[in-house]
Amino acid sequence: MSNIQQFQYDNKIVRAFGLASFIFAVVGMLVGLILALQIIYPSLNLGPWLTFGRLRPLHTNAVIFAFVGNGIFMGVYYSLQRLLKARMWSDTLSWIHFWGWQLIILAAAITLPLGLTTSGEYSELIWPLDIAITLIWVVFGINMFGTILTRRESHLYVAIWFYIATWVTVAVLHIVRSLELPVTLTESYPIFSGVTEALVQWWYGHNAVAFFLTTPYLGMMYYFLPKAANRPVYSYKLSIIHFWALIFIYIWAGPHHLLYSTLPDWVQSLGTVFSIMLIAPSWGGMLNGLLTLRGAWDRVANDPVLKFMVVAVIAYGMATFEGPMLSIKSVNAISHFTDWTIAHVHVGALGWNGFLTFGALYWLWPRMYRTELYSKQLANIHFWLGTLGIIFYAVPMYWAGWTQALMWKEFTPEGTLAWGNFLDTVTQIMPMYAMRAVGGTLFFVGVVIGVYNLFKTAAQGSFMANEAAEAPARPAPVVHEGDHWHRWIEGRPMQMLLWSTILIAVGGIVQIIPMVFVDSQVPKISTVKPYTPLELTGRDLYIREGCVGCHSQMIRPFRDETERYGEYSKSGEYVYDRPFLWGSKRTGPDLWREGGKYPDSWHYNHMMDPTSMSPGSIMPAYPHLLEDQLDLNGLPGKITALRKLGTPYPKDFEKYAVDNAKEQAQKIAKNLADQGIKDPTVADKEIVAIIAYLQRLGTDIKVQPK
Amino acid sequence: MISLSTLWGQATTTAAPDPKVDDFNQIMSTAFLIISALLFVVVIAVVVRTNAMLTRHLIRVESEKHGIPFAGDNTGVLPVEEDFFTRLRKKYWEDPVPQEKEGDITLDHNYDGIKELDNHLPPWWVNMFILTIIWAAGYMWYYHFGGGGADQAEQYKQEVETAKKEIAIALAGKANAVDESNVTAITEGSGIGEGELIFKNSCAACHGQKGEGGVGPNFTDEYWIHGGGIKNVFKTIKYGVPDKGMIAWSSQLKPADMQKVASYILTLQGTNPPNAKAPQGEIWKEDGATAPADTTQTAKG
Repeated sequence: MSNIQQFQYDNKIVRAFGLASFIFAVVGMLVGLILALQIIYPSLNLGPWLTFGRLRPLHTNAVIFAFVGNGIFMGVYYSLQRLLKARMWSDTLSWIHFWGWQLIILAAAITLPLGLTTSGEYSELIWPLDIAITLIWVVFGINMFGTILTRRESHLYVAIWFYIATWVTVAVLHIVRSLELPVTLTESYPIFSGVTEALVQWWYGHNAVAFFLTTPYLGMMYYFLPKAANRPVYSYKLSIIHFWALIFIYIWAGPHHLLYSTLPDWVQSLGTVFSIMLIAPSWGGMLNGLLTLRGAWDRVANDPVLKFMVVAVIAYGMATFEGPMLSIKSVNAISHFTDWTIAHVHVGALGWNGFLTFGALYWLWPRMYRTELYSKQLANIHFWLGTLGIIFYAVPMYWAGWTQALMWKEFTPEGTLAWGNFLDTVTQIMPMYAMRAVGGTLFFVGVVIGVYNLFKTAAQGSFMANEAAEAPARPAPVVHEGDHWHRWIEGRPMQMLLWSTILIAVGGIVQIIPMVFVDSQVPKISTVKPYTPLELTGRDLYIREGCVGCHSQMIRPFRDETERYGEYSKSGEYVYDRPFLWGSKRTGPDLWREGGKYPDSWHYNHMMDPTSMSPGSIMPAYPHLLEDQLDLNGLPGKITALRKLGTPYPKDFEKYAVDNAKEQAQKIAKNLADQGIKDPTVADKEIVAIIAYLQRLGTDIKVQPK
Repeated sequence: MISLSTLWGQATTTAAPDPKVDDFNQIMSTAFLIISALLFVVVIAVVVRTNAMLTRHLIRVESEKHGIPFAGDNTGVLPVEEDFFTRLRKKYWEDPVPQEKEGDITLDHNYDGIKELDNHLPPWWVNMFILTIIWAAGYMWYYHFGGGGADQAEQYKQEVETAKKEIAIALAGKANAVDESNVTAITEGSGIGEGELIFKNSCAACHGQKGEGGVGPNFTDEYWIHGGGIKNVFKTIKYGVPDKGMIAWSSQLKPADMQKVASYILTLQGTNPPNAKAPQGEIWKEDGATAPADTTQTAKG
């Protein structure tokens, strides 16, 4: 026993990430609550910075990357050290990782309300931050693999397989999704456009759910649940099969976010079938979690940690069954663009991520502080408030989504839309929105109580910054007679990394490469032309204000949509859309055929006060668009960048772009004046650009080819 | 199934055959058959299990009576074979090693105190996985490799065609069949009041609460851009004037409703509301003498 080595686990970094996680839980959920209230009371939209459109990405980013992200790092840094019998490879890298990540979050919290966004869901951050994320992620990777390679344990436990797959997949997703051409420090255009960019976005977006919200949390479940229950993991074989199946199949399912869009049918079908095949691999994790509790169920009733974990795993099982069901096209035809999706993601985020994080926090906080949890009763109150909160959140949202979808689709026997005015379908579900805010409040109060409980626990204990441990040096990985074949790769982390990378690459390659390189996948339409400079400027304002959060630009081939909005969308119409703005939720109506629908003055009045043109509207007012000076200085740079990416602007167009924009602005100003808008300076205001853009939307296919 | 269906039909319906009732019967009798079959399986299972239990009990009682120790299932003295249903369950549903025996399948893995058992994959889970893969292959075949499934453009065409037929049936011989060629102005009854409600909801935002005009033109003077009179107003509402921002209401308002709101609009003439917008278009005389020849063109946009 001479080769026993003494070392210390680093608890300080775990505590730091844990603190960050629950602080951002409070922040992210508070922003969510504000958004819920803005829908009920539109006057709470304090423009221009705190409108729904700008706050929504702040909420999603704060919950996913700040709350859950820090939760992941807390769980990984705690469990990785113990599963490998080694301290983190480098304390310096640990702290660079920690502070780098918090700085990125801080930057996001500043840039998003300022309207600096790329508008891709969960990839909104501007290009300098994309680079920062990449660097920090690499730091995390080096630290993790450094620890793995200097471990004292010969084999890697299943939790670490999930951490490895998480690391490599998030890296690949983030880099490919962030391929963009910078124009200024805060602006860039994505290299893909239209339908191709949409596919890349949802390959990324879907797998952000898979490899940021799911696989690292499965890894954490595999550590914290057996530890808390003090039971052996139910089935090693199940771990192996469901791990490899999960990471291989998940990647293919992204197109289910684009069903009935202009994405080619074959890609959509792949999204559907791989989503269905994903049920079993997803449930493998749930089963291994729940069956591990065999013999510990009597303790679940008394132990808040186990209670949180059980509900988390069940929420995971529900969400991963519901997801595939929503990927069936006929179900998606109803659910998509409605609050059903909102309910679905909140079961996952509040139930699975929220409850597992709090289960883990309640378990490791007293251990790191060498004490008992301050109050079991408060933890139980947190549990019940959280559970009721999820129910009060999800049920009204399911109801609202279903109700609204049916109203959208209802026809009178004479063939007219039963609810021709979109707003009527919104007014109908307002009580559900109010109920949702109640559910969110319950959950939020629970979280605050949880934070208080952890704070008091820390106050009564004494923190163990470095936890002494000992283990023999790492024996060579020997595969014994009768061992499972999989033991071989468990001793070889780099092979594990390699095979994970290969498996997660296949799906993306098969779906994305043909879209990029095979022209026939996106049939051209000769009358579709690039945006004029003024329209382009208006489009960037549309992006800045986050209009895409509530308005889609994708008319699906259903009779109710073509009756309500006009001809259904064609993929060739979007070839110059950088970024694409299809949206994924219709809190307001689709805008793809908005062009020419109303006079310019309608839009002017509507932006000043939506209720003047649409009584009862819950859209925020945008008076600042009527007051703020139109900035055309960036236009030449934008034209150059877009031409580099393939938009056919004429030679030297940069020189005329600003004049061209001013000319178009004058025309719109004249229209407005003719229609009774008395503002002599309107041609210099942002409103003319946004009107120009809105009046262009979806009109190109109506032009007669010459 | 046919005889069952008939039986059900006799019990619940009167003489006249109704296609909907037939459908209902069909569903009910199918459900009845399925439930009966399931019940049958359950009953058989209960009988077999009870029989096995009673047999074991009998052996135990007998062996105790004769002073022979009853050794249970594990000795091999009394070989207790797994019955058919146990084997079925273990093969297709679940096959966990009981908790008391889990020492036998505990692997020599130990990660920070976490041990792993070597339980089989749950058979129902494996079967579900296989079924989803088969389903996926079938789906791809049906839609992309010769199965004949319609793509989404084709589905849309079918949806629109079906709707056209249904609308034709619904409109046949009803008051809603009014169109711009036969529409007449309503002058009495509740129609005007209903028209006013529609106006307030759908038109007032642009044309003013009193029809005085705003974003859209004034309705209270004698001037009309696209022709006055019930037929022209009806036509403008129905098809809209997309170039000028007047949307087509035919997908939102029934023909009878468009008639009502057009009739209401005609009642506004000469009301002289405050803040009236300046006249636009030409003076319209009811005899149609000054009707612009190109109105039809414009209205159809």
